Amino acid sequence: MSKRKLARLLQTPAVLLLLVWMLVPLSMTLYFSFIRYVLNNLRRPEWTTPALSNWRGFGNYEFVLDAKDFWFAVQNSLFIVGSILFLTVTLGVLIAILINRAFPGRGIVRVLLISPFFVMPAVNAVLWINMILDPVLGLQGIAIGGINDLITLLKDAPLVGWFFSLWPTLEPISFRATQTSAYAVIIMVTWQWTPFAVLIFMTSLQSEDQQQKEAAVLDGAGAWSQFRFLTLPHLGRPIAIVVMIQAIFHLSLYAEIEIVSRGNGNKNLPYLIGEFANNNIGAASATGIFAVILANIVAIFLLRMIGKTLMD
Amino acid sequence: MGRIVLENVTKKFGDLEVIPPLNLTIEDGEFVVFVGPSGCGKSTLLRLIAGLEEVTSGRILIDGEDVTNIPPSKRGLAMVFQTYALYPHMSVRKNIAFPLRMAGMNEAEQNTRIEAAATALNLTDYLDRKPGQLSGGQRQRVAIGRAIVRDPTAFLFDEPLSNLDAALRVGMRLEISEMHKKLKTTMIYVTHDQVEAMTMADKIVVLQSGRVEQVGSPLDLYREPRNAFVAGFIGSPKMNFIDGEKAGTLGAHTIGVRPEHVQICPKGEGDVWQGKVGVAEHLGSDTFIHVHGIDGCDPMTVRAGGEVKINHGDTVYLSAQMDQIHKFDSEGHRVS
Ligand SMILES: Nc1ncnc2c1ncn2[C@@H]1O[C@H](COP(=O)(O)OP(=O)(O)O)[C@@H](O)[C@H]1O
Ligand SMILES: [Mg+2]
Repeated sequence: MSKRKLARLLQTPAVLLLLVWMLVPLSMTLYFSFIRYVLNNLRRPEWTTPALSNWRGFGNYEFVLDAKDFWFAVQNSLFIVGSILFLTVTLGVLIAILINRAFPGRGIVRVLLISPFFVMPAVNAVLWINMILDPVLGLQGIAIGGINDLITLLKDAPLVGWFFSLWPTLEPISFRATQTSAYAVIIMVTWQWTPFAVLIFMTSLQSEDQQQKEAAVLDGAGAWSQFRFLTLPHLGRPIAIVVMIQAIFHLSLYAEIEIVSRGNGNKNLPYLIGEFANNNIGAASATGIFAVILANIVAIFLLRMIGKTLMD
Repeated sequence: MGRIVLENVTKKFGDLEVIPPLNLTIEDGEFVVFVGPSGCGKSTLLRLIAGLEEVTSGRILIDGEDVTNIPPSKRGLAMVFQTYALYPHMSVRKNIAFPLRMAGMNEAEQNTRIEAAATALNLTDYLDRKPGQLSGGQRQRVAIGRAIVRDPTAFLFDEPLSNLDAALRVGMRLEISEMHKKLKTTMIYVTHDQVEAMTMADKIVVLQSGRVEQVGSPLDLYREPRNAFVAGFIGSPKMNFIDGEKAGTLGAHTIGVRPEHVQICPKGEGDVWQGKVGVAEHLGSDTFIHVHGIDGCDPMTVRAGGEVKINHGDTVYLSAQMDQIHKFDSEGHRVS
């Protein structure tokens, strides 16, 4: 047996395991998406066991496409992921550049910055929605209450009172409401994932060639030009990595959405799958396949965009 | 124009004084080489002139104007780095265009200059490539191109050829020299290689621990080194230093004689030294013979003709051209 064949043979178990690992769940999802399969149906008990005889063709897909929340969930998935990506990358780059310089206490600042990443998503959501964003008891409520009290007080002050009496009373935002629950999710996930971006960008910044910077200084490049023409392209690859990894993670957000508003006004595809899966496994599977397609489109689109804008 | 004057310039990194007070004048259009062993402060000095490091004290003048507190980009100098420092994400064209773009030059003028530089440096076929797709020599050309297009008052080179292989180095050396003849712009060139210094310079500045040991034309330094350090540093192979009795008879602590001024002679015909051949390096044009067993100098290097027949272990008798002997006192200063 040639060396090459032996190597192939020895690789086989690993390759097979990986194939099974990935293909089995995907095939089962595909299979379920083409049959009628529900957990509970008194009139048609045969639908409660998966079988080829319950074949439904594209019926589940049609059902999902017609479901009232589907397109909203797709749109909302993209909105949430897009916003989080934009915010984490922007904040990540800015913070990474800020703490890349030497300053006293840098070690501690770095550890503190990374710490949100170690909080569990559900805990993160509970913390934010109850302790920070809550319009009455959270920091937001307290802060806005405080500002309102201060303005009321200043309205009676001599000289400047007339100015403050023009101010309205501020209303705290209720982040559990239909219109705002998506923003709450975006805020909390951004808070949690910015450290990840910072960490990756910081590592990359440290490998930036200092002589290139000096050459640019001599070439007359100011701070902005150095950032735009050297640092940003240098960060192109790490940004692509951060965007890809986060896109995959955030397309499947669930805990935050559940905890903030139980999906009121704020559903994404995974949440929709969860709702269908209460009974209709067939529809849930079809939605799952849509989610896979969406994830691929997003991935290809993002990679192209990053490659175009940063790498040239 | 490009007359650069350093007045009592010093540089400290923390408590470490890298450049003690230093005075130096570089005339307009001169090709000046800073040469010295690694870590002697050549790069630091160049970076001080460029403005990439701030002087601890002293003044730097360019064409009579005090630039000590002027930022690097306003000094009108262009620098070529040892590691090329090309912008990896930009094509060769964009790399060369970068300083022009930063200066806000219009597109048409930019293109004329880029074309001219590319033609002069044989880069026309590579303008659309990225630096990563070029060889070391081509990268260094791009770096030089980026410097030329700016039409600077002076060029600063920091060991630009150190990362190239020997053959390429010789070629690039010539190209840079020719470029200087053509442009007649002041050039300051840093190297640790005395051959580069000797072949390229109008004026060599020999540095040791940040001190200027001697300034002069290559032949001045070769003929009349001011001290033993310069004598040993300039010239290849290195000068032979002989101390002890022989030096004493000539009224010096140490005497120095270059390998090319020592000859092999028959016994009894004016021979001064006798020794055994260790290694003979045959270069074809020359033979460098390392002779052992000579009092006060071991081994002594002798430069002989290419065809000389000599083997390991042979006993040889050596004489020296007495008018080519350099005498140094116990501190290494030249005595004449
Ligand atoms: N940024 C710096 N901080 C501290 N010491 C430095 C720095 N740059 C250079 N040095 C020291 O200054 C001395 C001269 O360095 P350099 O100018 O790079 O030497 P050369 O170019 O002649 O090899 C060396 O001893 C080096 O360690
Ligand atoms: Mg150096």
